[in-house]
Amino acid sequence: MSNFWNKLLYHDGRGWWDLPRTQWQDPNPQMEGPFGHGIAPIKRTWEIITAANYHHGTPWFYVLIGAILSIITIVEVWAFTWETLGGLLIPLMLVLSLAKFILVVGFFMHLKFDRKYYAWIFTACMIIGIGIFVALLLLLEYGNQTQQ
Amino acid sequence: MVVRTSQRPGPRLTLIFRSEFPNGKRPELAAATGTYEIKNEHGEVINTSTGLSNKKLLMWSFLGSDVMFFGSFIATYLVYRNRSLVGPYPGDILDIPITSVSTFVLLMSSLAMVLALSYIQQGRQKMGTFWIFSVVVLGAIFLLFQVYEFNHFGQVGLTPRTNLFGTTFFILTGLHGAHVTLGVLWLIFLGFGSIKGSLRADNAIDLEIAGLYWHFVDIVWIVIFTVIYLISARDVGPPG
Repeated sequence: MSNFWNKLLYHDGRGWWDLPRTQWQDPNPQMEGPFGHGIAPIKRTWEIITAANYHHGTPWFYVLIGAILSIITIVEVWAFTWETLGGLLIPLMLVLSLAKFILVVGFFMHLKFDRKYYAWIFTACMIIGIGIFVALLLLLEYGNQTQQ
Repeated sequence: MVVRTSQRPGPRLTLIFRSEFPNGKRPELAAATGTYEIKNEHGEVINTSTGLSNKKLLMWSFLGSDVMFFGSFIATYLVYRNRSLVGPYPGDILDIPITSVSTFVLLMSSLAMVLALSYIQQGRQKMGTFWIFSVVVLGAIFLLFQVYEFNHFGQVGLTPRTNLFGTTFFILTGLHGAHVTLGVLWLIFLGFGSIKGSLRADNAIDLEIAGLYWHFVDIVWIVIFTVIYLISARDVGPPG
């Protein structure tokens, strides 16, 4: 997967992106990409934060994830009290819930650090589960329309 | 004996060869016949032809099936949302502040679980035991919140037979509560195993699979809290 992102985001000057070379002093720099040199430090910082170079995060890293999860929960409850959100409430709740889901699955369940095979199993079942979910909702909608 | 450690990024596998591919056997065949051991970074022996822990593979497969299980019940709740003909409706009885606290407790139990695993893997037995029992206590507190909530709903007239909301709510949250109860019992056994010394760094995989189960219970609650409590808490009856 990392190779895929590397291919997508970076090229060596001869890649299929064929971007103009803006750095005339360094016509073929390493890690040149569609976002210039900005993406490399962001990627490096992200890898440090997520402890991607280690087998697992440190205890303090997990505490940080726990704090982020707590903050998201507080934001959820706070947003719930906002009467002005109206139709935005449900999309906002789903996005925040998805963020919590990803944090727990990725870091607490170690999928970020573990063999990709486990991630594939879980993702495949998630897709089937969501398929069941959508099928049930569509069946009900179809039933309602035929009743009317 | 020859020891080789892979230098590839990602989980480090250490292969301890009892001999160098005797009889010209291929590595995977040699693993199947027990000719060499594959150890992961925590020293656990993974003697499988896939190089994956069978226990962990089984747990992930089970969790995958549980995703479909809970997915069906959550979809059923949404299908029957706002279709109760009589009250009490979600907007009448759901108590968001109390459920927010119980959600926070379950999130913190997940944090305690991952800390327990981290310390057991490092060989810090006392810290690991402390955090395992912290998960047990936090899980029990969550269950007490659920017992209180069910009892309160019963007193105000919501039972599984009252209306569609009651049926779908009690089945979904009740099944989740059953999962939490099973997890608490499992972790009590592991906690005592840690005290006795039977749960150690070299077999921390047993705690890891219990942790996977516990975190899964947590993510199911994340979805339930959002769908039932936050999104449905203003429902006051069928439209029209």
